[in-house]
Amino acid sequence: MLAKFRPVLFVLAAAALAYPLMPFSNDYLLHVVTLVLVYMVLAMGLNILPGFCGLLDLGFVGFYGIGAYTSGLLTIHYGLSFWVIVPLACANGALWGVLLGVPTLRLVGDYFAIVTFGFAELVVLFLTNEIWLTRGPLGLPGIDPVSFDLTWLNPDWFYELEGEVPYFYLAVLMVAFVWLVMRRIEDSRLGRAWFAIREDTLAASSCGVNILRYKVIAFAISAGIGALGGAFYARWSLFLSPDMFKFWESFLVLCMVVLGGLGNISGALVGAVVLVVLGEGLREILPILGLAPETRFLAYGLIMVLIMRFKPSGFFPAIATASARNPLIRDLKKRLAGYESGDKSGTAA
Amino acid sequence: MFEQQLVNGLTLGVIYALIAVGYTMVYGVIELINFAHGEIYMLGAFFCVTFITAFGMPFYVAIVAAMLCCALLGILLDVVAYRPLRNAPRLAALITAIGMSIFLQNLAMIIWGSRAKPFAQEAVPSYLAETAIEWSGVHLAWLQIFILGVALVMMLGLYLIINHTRVGTAMRALAQNKTAAALMGINVNFVISFTFALGSAMGAVAGVLVAVYYNTLYPTMGYVAGVKAFASAVLGGIGSVPGAMVGGVVLGVAEALGAGYVSSLYRDGVAYAVLIAVIIFRPSGILGRAVVDKA
Amino acid sequence: MEPLLKVDNVTKRFGGLLALTDVSFDVRPGEILGLIGPNGAGKTTMFNCIAGVYKPTSGDITFAGQGGAVRTNGLKPEKMTELGIARTFQNIRLFGALSVLDNVRVARHCRTSSNFFGAVLRSRSQKEEEKAIIEESMRWLEFVGLAKHALDGATSLAYGNQRRLEIARALATGPKLIMLDEPAAGMNPRETRRLVDLIHAILDAGVTVVLIEHDMKLVMHICHRLAVLDHGMLIAEGKPEDVRANPQVIEAYLGRGAAHA
Repeated sequence: MLAKFRPVLFVLAAAALAYPLMPFSNDYLLHVVTLVLVYMVLAMGLNILPGFCGLLDLGFVGFYGIGAYTSGLLTIHYGLSFWVIVPLACANGALWGVLLGVPTLRLVGDYFAIVTFGFAELVVLFLTNEIWLTRGPLGLPGIDPVSFDLTWLNPDWFYELEGEVPYFYLAVLMVAFVWLVMRRIEDSRLGRAWFAIREDTLAASSCGVNILRYKVIAFAISAGIGALGGAFYARWSLFLSPDMFKFWESFLVLCMVVLGGLGNISGALVGAVVLVVLGEGLREILPILGLAPETRFLAYGLIMVLIMRFKPSGFFPAIATASARNPLIRDLKKRLAGYESGDKSGTAA
Repeated sequence: MFEQQLVNGLTLGVIYALIAVGYTMVYGVIELINFAHGEIYMLGAFFCVTFITAFGMPFYVAIVAAMLCCALLGILLDVVAYRPLRNAPRLAALITAIGMSIFLQNLAMIIWGSRAKPFAQEAVPSYLAETAIEWSGVHLAWLQIFILGVALVMMLGLYLIINHTRVGTAMRALAQNKTAAALMGINVNFVISFTFALGSAMGAVAGVLVAVYYNTLYPTMGYVAGVKAFASAVLGGIGSVPGAMVGGVVLGVAEALGAGYVSSLYRDGVAYAVLIAVIIFRPSGILGRAVVDKA
Repeated sequence: MEPLLKVDNVTKRFGGLLALTDVSFDVRPGEILGLIGPNGAGKTTMFNCIAGVYKPTSGDITFAGQGGAVRTNGLKPEKMTELGIARTFQNIRLFGALSVLDNVRVARHCRTSSNFFGAVLRSRSQKEEEKAIIEESMRWLEFVGLAKHALDGATSLAYGNQRRLEIARALATGPKLIMLDEPAAGMNPRETRRLVDLIHAILDAGVTVVLIEHDMKLVMHICHRLAVLDHGMLIAEGKPEDVRANPQVIEAYLGRGAAHA
């Protein structure tokens, strides 16, 4: 469905990419857009569980938080480069995904959801209480921004990201990377195994798919991507505090995924845009209507209820669409079109 | 010290039990985790205080009025938000439940402000303010006895309704097999709404009791209490009403002992840890049936 | 001749319910064995025990896999598929949101190996494996006559074709034994005749067949041997002509004092 709009989307994307370099570009707008990009990464990460595998995760923010604090603490205490920290943070997230997943993914869906919820709450409690590590509710300020340190080549080559513009481009790269990874997984043996688990677990196991192993892999990858978003966020906002990682964030990202269409990667991107823009829009509009900006949560809740009422499958319900672009499948399509004109196939016809 | 914690834990526990039965009954009939139930508990407290301060109702009348209002609210929640999604994907219903929870929480913040308020202590009968018994270092307040008593009466009432009335039998039938129940002529929608009403009334009483006991109420009190009550329901075996009662008491005592002896910072963490542990090691809970994978 | 599958005194209990009692029978390589019996006799339960969905309460199931006979009690379904037992389901269980081709491609899972890194890096071996998967899947779709529907949605197929798709999927797992659970259910006589041809083709392809069926004409026509279950017990085993004349069998299906089936 999106294919029809492809030329328009290209133009919009090009314009969006050129915008920050324009003299009239607005830092606040760039900040919001970068926030959207971070949520896009989170939405794509969460999408793996309910979208590809049919598993409900209510604690995704836990991995986001783990990634963020791993990134923040490693920066503050060891001054590590962002480029070293990202794989470490992702690995930490994935590790916790495995630790939590192995004992719990054999359970019926609702129970797994509850466990993930409890886990995320424990993460927040830990971040709040272990003040020696995280400074608790005071938060973690003074995280260094992202930098390119090539001083080992030439003493002058040290570039630190300043202002919103470079972070915007970095975020775009991050989204593009995750998107590419997701599309490739979607059209692969791994992705097909996940979709099979989502559609019919019993039939999937009778096709040889090891259900527990693949659920754990999904959880680990999802956690890793959440941690990636968190690692970026820490080095962008330069400040972290435990109340940035509460249940509300898990709910918000879940809504983005459902809104977009469970399992549809592009849908997750759309969901992220819609809900972040909605939030910012409400923040501006509500005071005009005489209401406090905090009421936007009320509106959020109500809007989600209404959307679930009228479009419970989201706006782009199609899944497993990446294979259509695979050259092997395109060849097959041409061959089959050849069959239509005349010759019948099949031995047991 | 230990006995004191036990007494405190028991008091806390029966309150969790009162909330937990609401979760468990609704899950039993429609397999939905009613996230908004915590908010009903919170609104029970707020309604009661408002009835006392704005309408001048006496203490006990205000409690009953709050129960009725919450029962109605529960029915409204079912009819308006959940019933249209009976046949929609499970995730949609769950998101709706969370959405309603957020909606109600923020509505309360708008109406009553987000800061904590004290309970209208002037309306509370004075005999409840005193310590009843002092025995080898253990204080037992009349208030605690009151809470235990009210909880006991309510749970007894619930037990009688579920096991000795036609509606109660219908609820149990519905929980076992919805299709068969409908085929037997049970008005499914009515029974589900009744379940919501019943659970909400129990939750409302719990809200009032907590507000009086801690002399404080605030719009977000439903969130944490809701999670703990849900943990109690799972601990006791989700879908089992006696289980929810037992689970509530066990969790309350565990929390009190944990806060007293281990760490008061992780007080809330006890509930989460219990939740995760029960689900991993004994998902059917203390009194629940064995969890069979439907595949 | 060594049996391909040996069911030995298998009993299956679900709490208070005794679904199977001391059932023993063999499946010989290259045959079509019919597992018949009235509704509720335990036929699908037997399939589920063989396929690894249930673990027998007692008794043994032995399957002659690659490295000789393996006792398969308690092995998970995915392991059973790997060993070479495929099955279809009484109520068709397709992957509804996927295409016809993808349904079959999933079945190649147990015979292929690329993982997350292969998927993301698109190595040469991964690409070759994907090509082989498509070719093998199309081969089985052609075998059942559904090749032209390869890129259609699985649920867009007519009912009879959905059953054939499920069979293609099961065959694509590369089994030595395939268990078909009521493949003719809901089919008209013409579709049933086509099914008979398909089952013969499966046999010719070197796959042994066990069949649960209620269509007695089909069963008598196609099966080399029959095993009859009633109330969880084996009441007859042998050639169709012998079984149909067996008074216990007649009584099980038609009640006491009935004429031939």
